[in-house]
Amino acid sequence: MSIALERSAPAPGAVPPGAGAGRQVWRRVRRRPSALAAAAVLALLVLLALAAPLLSHLTGQDPGAYHDDLVDSARGGVPLGSFGGISADHWLGVEPGTGRDLFTRLLYGARISLLVALGAVAVQTAVGVGVGLAAALGGRFAGRLIGLATDVMIALPMLVIGIALTAVVPPDFPRPLLLILLIGLFDWGGTARMVRAQTLALRGLDFVDAARLSGNGTLRIACRELLPSLAAPVITIAAIKVPTAMVAEASLSFLGVGVKPPTPSWGQMLSSAQTWFRADPAYVLLPAGLLFVTVLAFTVLGDAVRTALDPREGSRLRVGTGKESKA
Amino acid sequence: MTRFVLQRIGGALLVLLALSVLIHVLFYFAPGDPARLACGERCNPQQIAQVREQLGLNESAVAQYLHFLQGLVAGRDYSAGAGQALHCDAPCLGFSYQTDQQVTGLILTRLPATLSLALGALAIWLLVGVGTGLLSALRRGGITERLLTVLTLAGTGTPVFILGLLLLMAVCAYLQWLPFPTYVPLTEDPEQWAWNLLLPWLTLGLFESAKYARLTRSSTLEALAEDHIRTFRAYGVGERALVTRHAVRGAVAPVIALSAVDFGTMIGGAVLTESLFGIPGLGKTLIDAVRVVDLPVVVGVVLAIGAAVVVAGAIADLLYAAADRRVALA
Amino acid sequence: MPSQSHISRRVAAAAVSLVLAGGAAACGPKDGADGAGAAGGKPGAAGAPQKGGTLTVLNSEPQNDFDPARLYTSGGGNVPSLVFRTLTTRNREEGAAGTKVVPDLATDTGRPNADATEWTYTLKDGLKYEDGSPITTADIKYGIERSFAAELSGGAPYLRDWLVGGESYEGPYKDGGKGLDSILVPDPKTIVFKLRKPEGEFPFVATQTQFAPVPKAKDTGAKYEEHPVSSGPYKVVKNENDGEHLTLERNEHWDEKTDEERKAYPDKIDVRSGLDSAVINQRLTTSAGPDSAAITTDTNLGPAELAQIGDNKELAGRVGTGHFGYVNYIAFNPKVAPFDNPKVRQAVSHAINRTSVVNAAGGSALAEPATTFLPEREAFGFTPYDHFPAGRTGDPAKAKELLKEAGFPDGLTVTLTHSTAQNRQTSPEVATAVQQALAAAGITVKLEGLENNAFNERRWDAKNTPGFFLSRWGADWPSGGPFLAPIFDGRQIVTGGSNYNHAQLDDPAVNAEIDEIAKLTDLAAAGKRWGALDKKIGEQALTVPLFHPVYKRLVGKDVKNVVISDWTGVLDISQVAVK
Repeated sequence: MSIALERSAPAPGAVPPGAGAGRQVWRRVRRRPSALAAAAVLALLVLLALAAPLLSHLTGQDPGAYHDDLVDSARGGVPLGSFGGISADHWLGVEPGTGRDLFTRLLYGARISLLVALGAVAVQTAVGVGVGLAAALGGRFAGRLIGLATDVMIALPMLVIGIALTAVVPPDFPRPLLLILLIGLFDWGGTARMVRAQTLALRGLDFVDAARLSGNGTLRIACRELLPSLAAPVITIAAIKVPTAMVAEASLSFLGVGVKPPTPSWGQMLSSAQTWFRADPAYVLLPAGLLFVTVLAFTVLGDAVRTALDPREGSRLRVGTGKESKA
Repeated sequence: MTRFVLQRIGGALLVLLALSVLIHVLFYFAPGDPARLACGERCNPQQIAQVREQLGLNESAVAQYLHFLQGLVAGRDYSAGAGQALHCDAPCLGFSYQTDQQVTGLILTRLPATLSLALGALAIWLLVGVGTGLLSALRRGGITERLLTVLTLAGTGTPVFILGLLLLMAVCAYLQWLPFPTYVPLTEDPEQWAWNLLLPWLTLGLFESAKYARLTRSSTLEALAEDHIRTFRAYGVGERALVTRHAVRGAVAPVIALSAVDFGTMIGGAVLTESLFGIPGLGKTLIDAVRVVDLPVVVGVVLAIGAAVVVAGAIADLLYAAADRRVALA
Repeated sequence: MPSQSHISRRVAAAAVSLVLAGGAAACGPKDGADGAGAAGGKPGAAGAPQKGGTLTVLNSEPQNDFDPARLYTSGGGNVPSLVFRTLTTRNREEGAAGTKVVPDLATDTGRPNADATEWTYTLKDGLKYEDGSPITTADIKYGIERSFAAELSGGAPYLRDWLVGGESYEGPYKDGGKGLDSILVPDPKTIVFKLRKPEGEFPFVATQTQFAPVPKAKDTGAKYEEHPVSSGPYKVVKNENDGEHLTLERNEHWDEKTDEERKAYPDKIDVRSGLDSAVINQRLTTSAGPDSAAITTDTNLGPAELAQIGDNKELAGRVGTGHFGYVNYIAFNPKVAPFDNPKVRQAVSHAINRTSVVNAAGGSALAEPATTFLPEREAFGFTPYDHFPAGRTGDPAKAKELLKEAGFPDGLTVTLTHSTAQNRQTSPEVATAVQQALAAAGITVKLEGLENNAFNERRWDAKNTPGFFLSRWGADWPSGGPFLAPIFDGRQIVTGGSNYNHAQLDDPAVNAEIDEIAKLTDLAAAGKRWGALDKKIGEQALTVPLFHPVYKRLVGKDVKNVVISDWTGVLDISQVAVK
């Protein structure tokens, strides 16, 4: 894991320090058609997710409304009609057993998937940067301690702790927040290591020395001098982590630890759909397809951002971190 | 070298110790009175009290943890009635009060299924993943490379259970080439073992392959950019020979190292694949135990998995060092 | 009361395994509209059953316990009853006939004294263990005594509750050889039980494996399960990985002349436990190789699997349908507002949409809508009633009206507590179906989903019972007694242990009637009165019965003589033939 990580960190100095980086990155990303397509897909998805209540209103379908008359109760509740009960009212068919409208449920599911993925990445970036800086700038002992904590986090099976936690955390604690914290607090090891390595490299550079000579404190140096220079690698690693976080949410939901019903999420839909792969394939394919496309789009975009920020450009695809290999 | 090994072992033990404390603390707050769970339904309060005493649950949390450590090092005994005792040999990971099983024994019975799954997957990702990576390094700039890049990119993003579900739909439901996998132990029927594991192997193997394709490709490209290769090229050595004879070496070290790590993780981490296909391995055992808050099993399995991950990490470092002399052991 | 079976896996393992934790497995419905099996008579292969062959059993519940003291069985259990004979046992016949209790080791089902507080049994002649030594009543007494030991926890509570001195007895390992005085053994063939109060249904309890003989000299405490001494047609020759793989072979010393119930056709029985339920159903569907002679005693077909079987006649012909005495219901705790108001409880009863609920439970093939607490079988004393009619899909208008009368003209908001277990019984699927139905009546339901252990502790905690939650109950034997007494008898309210009287009903009239019926040894007469009592209690709207599950289970292609009684709802393993 460690190997993979260290290799994926862009070299220091790759970075155009300071402001203007965002625009520059976008200019570079825009040049790749695949990245542009990915961005378009994601923009559309975000738009649909935001507009879910409006669309639900327009189609007249409530994501929680039951339609007992649309399923065949004697046959385990399989939707009546072809392709999972597609009709003028139910554009993508209905859910087996309940007859709930799949189109609106998928839309509402997108809100959860996006919210949790982005929230979790925000948390892990914040924690990772904080811990990484502390490890690099703190004393040797602090560094060791943080190193141990990082190792423990990596050895902990997140899915398992997640399931255990849902039993321990009070039931009225908001689930999306729990998922965000869980995924965020678990997967910051990579960011921390990268930040630490970068900081150690930067520490020796002239402008940091200059700041220190002019009598600035460690904290001040960290905020004023180091953070801006860390922006590019941090953005890169955050962009790469979005799809990973999304898959983590889906996996937790798949194991039955996601958001609470009746709120839908894609992973949760897949979890209840898994036994239906023969009797109602549409029910499996819809959430699976959406999740696949979204994760792919995020991966492509993340890759484009990395390439844009890496001066050695050329599509040097690197390995991700070990965490995503959780199978 | 010796110092390096000792340091790694010390670090690993520390990590495992921290892990065990963390899980004990977490489950200390878990709902469910273990004595009541052990006692079964409709136990009266006196019976629950008796069971609590028999299981040593009256002790403080710290004392229970210390007993756990003691069992790990020296083994321990549990009263079995009729003047008998159940002895749990070191390393005793405890005794599941919900299923009356010794955790160490439970782990050993679940290990073959998990190992079967992980080994097959390893073979597939080494073959498919590394093969794809080399191919795309060889065909740089061509349509093949683009195609492979897109495929591997799609592969790294796909959650393993989606891949598994799609394979199930395609291979079992539509083409009907394979039956729905039902795990058969190797010792019972090797042929059925392989047939039934084929789909889980493919799922996990292909899932991991994408990552290995990317790793192989980038390592190979990096190697190709090195000076001595340039020299070879200047001397007119063909591209295919360059890649297969020389550049591959650059990819060997990282692939071996990452494989060791992934294999270790998979020993306990193939939770999703095992759940999807109903393979009675460690991952599924763990998930089931967590669902019923069976603390001893959870602690035991998590530690076993943690140990596998840590050991694999150490092995990876050693292999990496051995395969790539440029890396000095720190 | 295997109602909550997976609170402890042990319990379920042993029991008929009524309910499954497994995702796919769940409940069952009436005469499967699509089941060719239901139409064409018995499921399974045709032809007269023959001796021989190997029967494979594929189960999802682990069989960690194989000790007669620890097993929680109804009617002696299924696999356990092949090895352990008991004083009485269930009648191994199809449907309603199968709800009768019949003699097993004893010559009759027990001789009560005048007020049914003392029961006497005499053993048949020629009964032997697997080693050829004779079975004595002292061994039966010892077997019961060891079931009180803390080391051998598990089993049903009746012996502790009923036997004189049972509540404080700690088992033979701690009694200094004194034994339990309320079990008398005047001679090796006679045994007498002294009870604290009249119990007309004692013969049913004598079917449980605690009544199996255990020779004291062979007792090895918790290790006894590795090789229990057989009194039945099969003995344990191998127990691998703590019950994961049990191999049973013929017990040569079992004499079929002493046993009218067990047919014991196969020569060998191979029991695999702890399998994934999807895997079990897949193997039974494919029915290849040894699986053509396979059955399951605990795994139902799930809704998706039923949908897939669809029109396939061959498969449908191999599906057995069974009914086990079981009810899934909404429980109220009238101590919690607003459920202290009977009108609110009635409003909920009227508003419920049983079509949605049944669909959530897997559809009409796996669940029958219920308006009575007692299952719809004669043995339980079933008496139809529907005090608060909701029709097929609920009557929100009537519910609104009642809410208005109750002082909630603008509706109200309540919390429904349920579990997160994937059992299609107390699970989120059922909870959301209830939520949707009540929304139409102006009742906003907030869902409180608890992890299964936490959920059970909450609903069994008399001091902290939620006001409104999903619950379920199963019978230990086919009668109204084990259904109504634990749930509605005021003296069974338990604080500090597990309380099942969720409403904490303590009505002197109800208590007195329960005592009166318990005195009856005429079970048919008792049945009528249980039914009447159910109807009477129902008027208080303390529960909303939701559905009675139906079991749908596959058997392999070569399996013959499938007998499913209304006692267990599962095919009887002692009747199955594979040749």
